[in-house]
Amino acid sequence: MNALNEKPNAEVSPRQTEASTILDGRYVPPPKDGDGKIWIRTSAMVNAPAEELYRMWRDVESAPLWQEQIVSVMRTGERTSHWVMQVNDERVEWDSEVLKDEPGKRIAWHSIDGDSENAGEVIFERATADRGTMVTVLQEFKMSTLASAWETLTGRNPKQAVVENLRHFKALAETGEIPRSQGQPHGPRGLVGKFKASAYGEKIATPSGVRSKAS
Amino acid sequence: MKAVCWMGTSKVETLNVADPALLNPHDAIIKVTRTAICGSDLHLFDGFIPTMEAGDILGHEFMGIVEEVGKEVTNLKRGDRVVVPFTIACGNCLFCKKKIWAACDNSNPNAHLMEAAYGYSGSGLFGYSHMMGGYAGGQAQYVRVPFANIGPLKIESDLPDEKVLFLSDIFPTGYMAAENAQIQEGDTVAVWGCGPVGQFAIASAFMLGAARVIAIDRLPERLEMARSIGAVTVDFGEEDVSVLTALKDLTGGTGPDACIDAVGLESHSRELQGFYDRVKTALMLETDRPSVLRQAIQAVRKGGTVSIPGVYGGLLDKVPFGAAFGKGITMKMGQTNMHNYMKPLLNRIESGQIDPSYIISHRITLEEAPRMYEVWRDKKESVTKIVIDPWAEIAA
Repeated sequence: MNALNEKPNAEVSPRQTEASTILDGRYVPPPKDGDGKIWIRTSAMVNAPAEELYRMWRDVESAPLWQEQIVSVMRTGERTSHWVMQVNDERVEWDSEVLKDEPGKRIAWHSIDGDSENAGEVIFERATADRGTMVTVLQEFKMSTLASAWETLTGRNPKQAVVENLRHFKALAETGEIPRSQGQPHGPRGLVGKFKASAYGEKIATPSGVRSKAS
Repeated sequence: MKAVCWMGTSKVETLNVADPALLNPHDAIIKVTRTAICGSDLHLFDGFIPTMEAGDILGHEFMGIVEEVGKEVTNLKRGDRVVVPFTIACGNCLFCKKKIWAACDNSNPNAHLMEAAYGYSGSGLFGYSHMMGGYAGGQAQYVRVPFANIGPLKIESDLPDEKVLFLSDIFPTGYMAAENAQIQEGDTVAVWGCGPVGQFAIASAFMLGAARVIAIDRLPERLEMARSIGAVTVDFGEEDVSVLTALKDLTGGTGPDACIDAVGLESHSRELQGFYDRVKTALMLETDRPSVLRQAIQAVRKGGTVSIPGVYGGLLDKVPFGAAFGKGITMKMGQTNMHNYMKPLLNRIESGQIDPSYIISHRITLEEAPRMYEVWRDKKESVTKIVIDPWAEIAA
């Protein structure tokens, strides 16, 4: 006999993977940066079925529509793809391989060759009470914390980029577009205005969200 | 096109800027026929809201004619007459589904800025800082409206613009304030601030069943307007008036059932606390001046409700939380969930229950806007509400 036997809406315990936030009933904090690696774990509640979100994520060639600074992704095999990223004047390219592929549930990948060493996992868990799907992303980058701080000052820190990309992914899945205010009319910005735009991360182009034009 | 731009604290200019364009499939471009300056625009003018950038187009109260629609907009077409809500909502996230539209997950492109300040981001707003999305505002000849399939309310009757314009913000905001006050039949409701939101809070409190509404302000033209719709007024600027005593006297010693703070973060107090807040905000040890909120918490009856439509942005000092707990009060607040109220309130206007245009004191051109921001801030010329015709060359 348990002490509590009335839990009409309690969820069943989630399964365990790398990106999990709960282990044996205990909260698991995200991995700490160190040893030349930085980690980011982030999650979003998305009002769409897990299967649909899995397909959207697994369609790597569409990643430039919702991932910041990704110029192109080309499939090179059943589990491999070639990624091209443009950061200011610098072009960063790498190959990526899918390690775990569980339709509707989980994708894990890592880079196998190129300018960027990264790895990640995304899990799709059905949320309670028809709230949709809880999407949790865990990514690691080989990068010192100092380099990470430098990226924060000069553009988008990779950690924030993962957070923003998941935000774009959610908006695209829920509404069919990514909200944007870049490209609107405004008066002269002046020096301070320009500095602020940079500080607020507004210099990073919002991904298009759609292949075609708005009108 | 011409647009009213924020160029720094206490600096607003009418400038020629580029016309807006469709950027997303659910966008519409609206030709603005009427817009207004809101009390909350003064928080921007006075530099209280962070993340404004020079060149930002102001304005979140506007209406007009649909000029162009994106390819996914199915409910509007060129030539439709619409009022646009100041909060932008996607219609399909968890929060929109729960009808908490002002908390929309998908309408703020700069959500990370608001997350840093507030933990989570609310919806995007027109012309109200980059933290709120960096959207260009409607004090302009044209404006881009995102998620146009969800927000804009079509006006199909021939009611003049001035009667429906305030559905864009202040009428629903005043109404939600009264709804948040949880008014029961026969209640007494006290309203601090008799500006436009206060006026509509007073009117809505009566509509929702209040027996007595007590209106608190110090500007004679506002108090006069409040009395004109049936409120009992308390002038806190009068030498021998104590608001707390007045509210006890007017409620048989019980206190108002609900208190509505329609003032927000820049309240004025002639007491010592007013000086305290000015010093602390000047030293950046406090961001908001909450003297009305303190008074409302102190004044409300045991188990009563404090409703806060007035805007707060940051950190508040010396809020009497012990009094709030001791009396077991309820506090309700937040940006207006516009999309719940626009249609029902349009029905109230169409059926003649209320004519919201009674608050208008000034009708101006875009060129006059910079000067009128100062008049509005200084409460000169008996100003109560400023409406702009963006296409007029000479003031009406």
